[in-house]
Amino acid sequence: MSNNSTPLLEMKGVEKHFGGVRAIDRFDLRIMPRDIYGLIGPNGAGKTTIFNTITGIYQADEGQILFEGKDITKIKPHEAAALGIARTFQNIRLFENLSVKMNVIIACNMHNRYSVAEAILRLPRYRKVTKAIEERAIGFLESVGLADKADDIAGSLPYGHQRKLEIARAMATDPKLLLLDEPAAGMNEEESLELVDFLKKLHHDNPITILMIEHHMDVVSRLCEQCTVLDFGRTLAQGTVEEVKQNESVVAAYLGGEL
Amino acid sequence: MINSFYEGVIVTCCVNIIAVLGMSVLTGFTRLFSFGNAGFMAIGAYTAAICSVQFHLPFALSIICGAVAAGIVAYLLGSLTIRLRGDYFLISCLGFGECVRVLFLYLRDITGGATGYTGIPFRTTWVVALVCAIAAFIIAWNLIHSRYGQAFSAIRENEVAAAANGIDVVKYKKMSFVFSAIFAGWAGGLYAHYLRHITPVLFNLPKSCELVITTVLGGLGSLTGSVLATLVVQLLPEFFRKFSEYRMLAYGIAVVLVILLRPAGLMGYKEFPDLFKKSGKKKSTGGA
Amino acid sequence: MKILIQQMITGISIGSVYALIASGYALVYSLLDFSNWAHGEVCMLGAYCCFMATMIPKMPFAVSCVLGIAGAALISLFNEKIAYRRIRNNGSPNMFLMIAAMGLSTTYQNLANVIWGSKFKQLPRFFKTSTLNINGIFVGTTDLLCIVISLIVLVLLLLIINRTRFGLHVRAVACAGSTARIMGIRIDQVIALVFVMAGALAGLAGITYGMKYNVYPTMGNVGLKAFIASVIGGLGSVPGAIVGAVLLGLIETVVSGYISSGLRDLISFSLLILILLIRPAGLFGVDVQEKA
Repeated sequence: MSNNSTPLLEMKGVEKHFGGVRAIDRFDLRIMPRDIYGLIGPNGAGKTTIFNTITGIYQADEGQILFEGKDITKIKPHEAAALGIARTFQNIRLFENLSVKMNVIIACNMHNRYSVAEAILRLPRYRKVTKAIEERAIGFLESVGLADKADDIAGSLPYGHQRKLEIARAMATDPKLLLLDEPAAGMNEEESLELVDFLKKLHHDNPITILMIEHHMDVVSRLCEQCTVLDFGRTLAQGTVEEVKQNESVVAAYLGGEL
Repeated sequence: MINSFYEGVIVTCCVNIIAVLGMSVLTGFTRLFSFGNAGFMAIGAYTAAICSVQFHLPFALSIICGAVAAGIVAYLLGSLTIRLRGDYFLISCLGFGECVRVLFLYLRDITGGATGYTGIPFRTTWVVALVCAIAAFIIAWNLIHSRYGQAFSAIRENEVAAAANGIDVVKYKKMSFVFSAIFAGWAGGLYAHYLRHITPVLFNLPKSCELVITTVLGGLGSLTGSVLATLVVQLLPEFFRKFSEYRMLAYGIAVVLVILLRPAGLMGYKEFPDLFKKSGKKKSTGGA
Repeated sequence: MKILIQQMITGISIGSVYALIASGYALVYSLLDFSNWAHGEVCMLGAYCCFMATMIPKMPFAVSCVLGIAGAALISLFNEKIAYRRIRNNGSPNMFLMIAAMGLSTTYQNLANVIWGSKFKQLPRFFKTSTLNINGIFVGTTDLLCIVISLIVLVLLLLIINRTRFGLHVRAVACAGSTARIMGIRIDQVIALVFVMAGALAGLAGITYGMKYNVYPTMGNVGLKAFIASVIGGLGSVPGAIVGAVLLGLIETVVSGYISSGLRDLISFSLLILILLIRPAGLFGVDVQEKA
């Protein structure tokens, strides 16, 4: 399988309806390995719905989703994670009452195999794996700069740290594709620039592909080469960020808005 | 070496500790509510009793049969109902518990009906009960602190996020349910071999409620809290005879107060040893 | 055939009592999305209030009934004010409402036991003759009374919900609570009034049930049956609850009449589980996909 020709993620004519509303309408997407791809559009354009169909929270009504050439249209959420699709959420979803470290450990556990008997009797393999996982979790926390907060309760972290923790948790599942849902939401200029650097480093250090939903155009233009603009579930434009900015229908839809 | 009153107190406490630990894993850590666990106790009790009396199996084997039977039934029931949303699941468990009771009343030839099942040998001495309770605690503790327990806590905290991090929510919920049923069955089997005579009314809806109440009082997400709460709930009426009439009334009020004032229960997400740790930082051990 | 008709009438009459309680479940569920377990105990306390009133010398029975209904309505309101509202405002998970309701239910049941003891208390009957003979079909007068009263009250309830301004508010809050608040509906007031209504219905149910089967502390367990009925009909749907209740009443009497009264509860609970599996949203409920 040559990585150059097979897209990591491909969506063909995907549709999702809620009652009479078409949340996404004949949506196509091709993301090559190692891309950083942007998904842009006003609220309610169907961006998060696309994430939800990729990760199996929703089942697409029409069309096909391929991951590394494999059909994942009817996948379940935990199976998507096991295949290497990790995500963050628009409204942060941490395990709030658990410690910061535990949040990451739980994600690390995905590749952790010891049996119930080994756990109950605390056999050597359990001890070994548990220790290794703990170290691994601390490693992920270090990479996002939260190692010193490892024992804090996740819900007590400030907002920016919670976003970072969610990314660390997603990375701990060892993903090939990382879906980020508005990582810069609620951040000011300075913070979002910091985020750009952080994501660039993350992408550089790890063999991952990133698909991100973002409103901040400066974040998108600094990170993404390719992007898709959505409006009311329809694709308005697809191409490089520069191309898209010039596109008439995009300009019309935003009419001097964020672009 | 110990008089029968104290033996009774110890056995009752230990049996209830085992059943409540099962509830604690299910409710405190996975946040699934079951008002049917007395039904699993009944299955464990009757299965173990029948194994002892009809088939003359050794005591330990009878107890295991009872616990396994409860586990199997929970697996089958869970396969059907675990996907239902919170209160539907709860009501289906409640319905199941009542069904078990009515069925045992009805199957007179096998269970003795309302007069009960008699002639069970006395095997659960206070030593046996205590050893079992300690073993149950260690098993529950180790499970909760392993990846399985961590998955339960993740489901409690946020199901969508748990699934997104590779946790098969249905599978782990079912596992937690089966675990709680096995503990209930274990408790039931021991109880049968202490009482020597069991009737379906021992395992009625109020018994299921009592298990849930004890778990809530001990704190959702604390195993040591569950044990403490069981001791309080079981011991108070034993030593204050006058109190026993008002027992359930007091527990009902206590549950309402706990939910209103300290929703995380007496212990919160903390385990008992945490209270003595000198640490400036807030620590969380709910499944940690 | 005559026996069947007789049993059908008994079934409809017990079903109509279930319907009074079940519609209260449905109302509260439609607003707050939780099953109010204490509702059966409200019904029991209403019956006891009525019983206490009958002990007052020269008190007409009709007035006692009104007092019983008022008592139940007050207790229902009390539950909302003291417990449910606080939990809602805490931002606690919905599950906590159910635990609180369970705690209240245990409290009331045992309180009744402490105050009145576990002995059955008898309510007076409205009619001197207990059965009518219509062409060889024996019909209990209390049964007929239950059916007639429930029918009138439930029709009134449906009219209130569908035809009045208050009913519109209830439906608005059920549909979208936060939007309703923005539109100027005082949600807490609507919820409080719904609890009063549900409580009054439960009180009436308690009195009619008490006339049929006496009054005792655990009679609140009839609430479980009503809950099953409202699940059959679809939680949150008042018409569904009514249909489910009558259906359950009929099934129960037919099962006790033709199969075995011991298996009655087994069959109704199995029916519950079966319906949950086949149509989780009940016969009339709408299954809404939650937005992730």
